[in-house]
Amino acid sequence: MENIIEIDGLYKSFKEVKAVQNISFRVKRGELFAFLGVNGAGKSTTISILCGQLKKDAGRVKIDGVDLDTDEDKIKRDLGVVFQNSVLDKALTVRDNLESRAALYGIYGKEFERRLDELADLLDFKALLSRTVGKLSGGQRRRVDIARALLHKPKILILDEPTTGLDPQTRKLLWGVVSELRRTEDMTVFLTTHYMEEAAEADYVVILDGGRIVAEGTPLQLKNEYTGDFITLYGIEEKQAALLGAPYERTTNGYRISIQNTATATDMILKNPEVFTDYEIVKGKMDDVFLAVTGKSLMGGEEK
Amino acid sequence: MKALSLLIKRNCKMFFKDKGLFFTSLITPLILLVLYTTFLGEVYRDSFKMSLPQGMEIPERLIEACVGGQLFSSLLAVCCVTVAFCSNMLMVQDKMTGARNDLLIAPVKKSTLAFGYYIATAITTLIVCFVAALASFIYLACVGWYLSFADVCLLFLDIFLLSMFGTALSSMINCFLSTQGQMSAVGTIVSAGYGFICGAYMPISQFSDGLQKAISLLPGTYGTSLIRNHALAGAFEEMAAQGFPVEVVESIKNSIDCNLYFFGNEVSVGAMYAVLAVSVLVLLGAYILVHKLSDKKK
Repeated sequence: MENIIEIDGLYKSFKEVKAVQNISFRVKRGELFAFLGVNGAGKSTTISILCGQLKKDAGRVKIDGVDLDTDEDKIKRDLGVVFQNSVLDKALTVRDNLESRAALYGIYGKEFERRLDELADLLDFKALLSRTVGKLSGGQRRRVDIARALLHKPKILILDEPTTGLDPQTRKLLWGVVSELRRTEDMTVFLTTHYMEEAAEADYVVILDGGRIVAEGTPLQLKNEYTGDFITLYGIEEKQAALLGAPYERTTNGYRISIQNTATATDMILKNPEVFTDYEIVKGKMDDVFLAVTGKSLMGGEEK
Repeated sequence: MKALSLLIKRNCKMFFKDKGLFFTSLITPLILLVLYTTFLGEVYRDSFKMSLPQGMEIPERLIEACVGGQLFSSLLAVCCVTVAFCSNMLMVQDKMTGARNDLLIAPVKKSTLAFGYYIATAITTLIVCFVAALASFIYLACVGWYLSFADVCLLFLDIFLLSMFGTALSSMINCFLSTQGQMSAVGTIVSAGYGFICGAYMPISQFSDGLQKAISLLPGTYGTSLIRNHALAGAFEEMAAQGFPVEVVESIKNSIDCNLYFFGNEVSVGAMYAVLAVSVLVLLGAYILVHKLSDKKK
């Protein structure tokens, strides 16, 4: 797969604050790319540079083969952005909002009506078109935000913490739409999130800390490199867990044993078959990766 | 071009649908109306009667036309500027809500956005002011109508020019604002202060010499005077027709700022138009320059 985003040696400072320091990464066309980091790690700065809203101090940004320094407008046509907080006009109706934004991409008249119909069907907001945005629920507003980002059929959809504070139903709808767009339109999704279960679904993950990339890879590579496996044993006594000779912790129905990798698990099962009557082996989670890499934990949007 | 027109439509709708912006813009004119109905109108009636030579009778409709003309001119003078300021607060509000970022994500030039705000402010200000002017004409027709067709046309021209001045001035000032605090501060200062410095609440002629000279440096003052001159032109002609001495009419004109003096020299109506028009052009030029410079910063 070819690269759709190429960033090399990106730097950005705000007076003494070095927001982004020598960041380089690639995003492949059609992939779900996750950009992780605590608040202030440099995620938003990088996105703002990508979108042409901030000027970089140094480095090179190429989107779909176009250098940001040479044709910013072309790049803007390729990007759709769902901001962390809804930025639509609360006093206007959904239709008015989308009409004014579509015009900025040269979409109006019948072309706009056609696109509006498509998006209203896709995101199920036909009934909301004449409602004032300020009177919509958080989930309804999010659907309209996504429609706004998709108005001009962008090649890359940037989702900046899109599901924070959303109900499970809207979250499911959002991810359903994103999957559909990736499948049918080969859309690339650039995601920043505080929900590690969402990052775990990504094709590639970059973790930022203090403006630098501290880890990157597929979720599996990161889990293998930065966390071990876990065996959860059910229906055993604590002394049996202790006998296995690995760190363990009590869970609701049993004990969770930390092991280095799957090979260690196999070895342990073969040596202690009497203990392994009811058990499961799982890889470490992205939370564990994040904690191991940054020394910080992301729990539903909060730095711990 | 289509993007600009839809942006203007969006900005106009935002002004009329955002109750905060719309009603705030009407506060100063409403205060003025309350002042006139409660005591200013009576003060002006009395001062007109007192300025007349002893034994001279004046029809009640003529006095009402004079007082109404003053109300008309004061109301429109503040409306043209305060409505423009409030309407143009949208550019600050867009910065605060993040809507500006959303607009700039699209391949739209910053200059297009800037003109979108400018033209929308001019349109909304003109709509509100022309509606206020029509209401004032109806009021004058009821209490005492002495305006000629030419006066009415010139009044519309004055309102147009002063609205353009308010739009240009507010664009220039508001483009430096970015927080709620700054927005409130400017809104309060303009709402509370402009009525005084343009001579709407009380004639500038009643201020001290130093203050009069300082106010004569402000272009908006001439806008108020232009509207006042044309709103009262018919009434003054009627006074002359009824045999009022020229000195008396001139004295009334002096007392209510129809005649303005720039460091002792009387400013002609033509010069007032020139001051206002040049101010609009200078402010518009400065606005464009500020945007060109801020484009390079980022």
